[in-house]
Amino acid sequence: MTTNNAAEAVTGKPAGLAPGEPAITVRNLAKSYRSAGRGVVNALAPVNFTVADGEFVCLVGPSGCGKSTLLKILAGILKPSGGEYRIHREGGAVADCQIGLVFQSPVLLPWRTVLQNTMLPADALELDRDAMRKRAMQLLDMVGLKGFESSYPSELSGGMQQRCSITRALLHDPPILLMDEPFGALDAMTRDVMNAELQRIRLESGKTIFLITHSISEAVFLADRILVMSARPGRIIDEVIPNLPDRASLDVMATPQFGAAVHRIRQAAGHRRQGPTQCRLSKTSQPPPSPPRQTARPPVGAIIAGC
Amino acid sequence: MALLALIEACIRGFDIPSYIFPAPSEIFKSLYAGFAAPLASKSAYYTHILTTVSEALGSFVCGSILGIALGGLIAEFPLLRRLALPYVIGLQSVPKVALAPLFVVWFGLGISSKIVLGILLTFFPLMVNTVAGFASVEKDRLELMQSLKAGSWKTFRYVKLPSALPFIFAGLEMAAAYSVLGAVVGEFVGGTSGLGVLMLNRNAALDIAGSMAALVLLAVLGIALQKLVTLARNRLLFWAPSKDVLRNAEPEPD
Repeated sequence: MTTNNAAEAVTGKPAGLAPGEPAITVRNLAKSYRSAGRGVVNALAPVNFTVADGEFVCLVGPSGCGKSTLLKILAGILKPSGGEYRIHREGGAVADCQIGLVFQSPVLLPWRTVLQNTMLPADALELDRDAMRKRAMQLLDMVGLKGFESSYPSELSGGMQQRCSITRALLHDPPILLMDEPFGALDAMTRDVMNAELQRIRLESGKTIFLITHSISEAVFLADRILVMSARPGRIIDEVIPNLPDRASLDVMATPQFGAAVHRIRQAAGHRRQGPTQCRLSKTSQPPPSPPRQTARPPVGAIIAGC
Repeated sequence: MALLALIEACIRGFDIPSYIFPAPSEIFKSLYAGFAAPLASKSAYYTHILTTVSEALGSFVCGSILGIALGGLIAEFPLLRRLALPYVIGLQSVPKVALAPLFVVWFGLGISSKIVLGILLTFFPLMVNTVAGFASVEKDRLELMQSLKAGSWKTFRYVKLPSALPFIFAGLEMAAAYSVLGAVVGEFVGGTSGLGVLMLNRNAALDIAGSMAALVLLAVLGIALQKLVTLARNRLLFWAPSKDVLRNAEPEPD
């Protein structure tokens, strides 16, 4: 069994990202835990997928299907109980930490100002403060929080707080952004605005983004590729590539392609049926899991876990 | 003011003798006499106030530091929690005021026996509140620091300690009251100067007005200490909603 947890997988030397190699590789990743009264609960069935460098992948699935568990494993917060995952390093990353994490709630520290909250990674990772301050100001400007640098979180609206948490995730310039239902707590209108803004940030920064949501239309609007997860224990049951004509505006939601993609995901999630491909949806079947390396342990250093 | 006037009127109207309940005017007279007396005089307040203030402050500061430190250690190191907590709880179940006579024997009639008693009283609410504060840090905040690869010291400094501060200040407010209590009880049991000693002496002489004057001074001391804590709290915890239950009891309809 090739269980690689973060502690033993992190090596000191950053490995360069070979061309064409995916930014995130997940192979047979599983998580189970003991629960009082119910014995061993499988939160995550073995899951296989990859996220290409610069790709925007959304994971949709019903509540409690293990989406967040998967993300927390990728973020290095939880340890998997089986399987392996790789997060590849990119040369340009400022810090050792290659991921930026955005939670469903903003998780801002109420005693820090907006600027200080954005600067938290600089404190935690001991980065150059002057350079980071400059970058923080640019990021705050980018998300429209210019002028609120010295406000406290309690003085901001929910949407503004979430924007601040995005600047915090971006501060150390991680190549990969992990987002756990980042706009789930916002009202529908703010959510649309934030989605458009995230799309813009993504186009500007070229980050690899892995986003969890239970909103199908949000997933279709944002993602290059959508993974659909089943109910617990979570498995990936479908993969949809919405070929949208233009993502620049929210108007794309009115196009037939958009509707078809939404319909397809809904079917997959609801009936676990893999219906015929509709419209111009390119159906890519789940790539066959590469032969699990059950016997040979991967070379040390090949697996680089998240921060 | 109106209440004082009413009491005054009642006492005069019903002709209550001053050795049972002195009129407010008599208490004020006694207060004035105490402050007007020459510094060196036995009946002057100054030395008594100084003694009690230093006892209360000393036990407040030492007890708080000890309580916060041990609370923090217990919260951070589970092994210590298992080792130390049974003793601490055992100590807590002893009525600490009952230890006052022992402390007078061990530490003498001076200021130190009162400070030890005060430390014992103030220590516990701070330790319990500190542990509770560290235990209640939001999980998301800890996970955020974990995702940023922050070690335990950075997590402690940037997230845990500030998150626990509202609880610690709730403990400090309690400790402020307990430290005055410790000083007075210690003085009752055995002491040479202090507001508690003054009260005992005046009581023995049936000078109830004088005794009550000392009580007023103790109340002022307690309030002042409490105010100091509140002031510090408002400066440090501007971001946290006030946990002052008594003051916020009415206006918030839930």
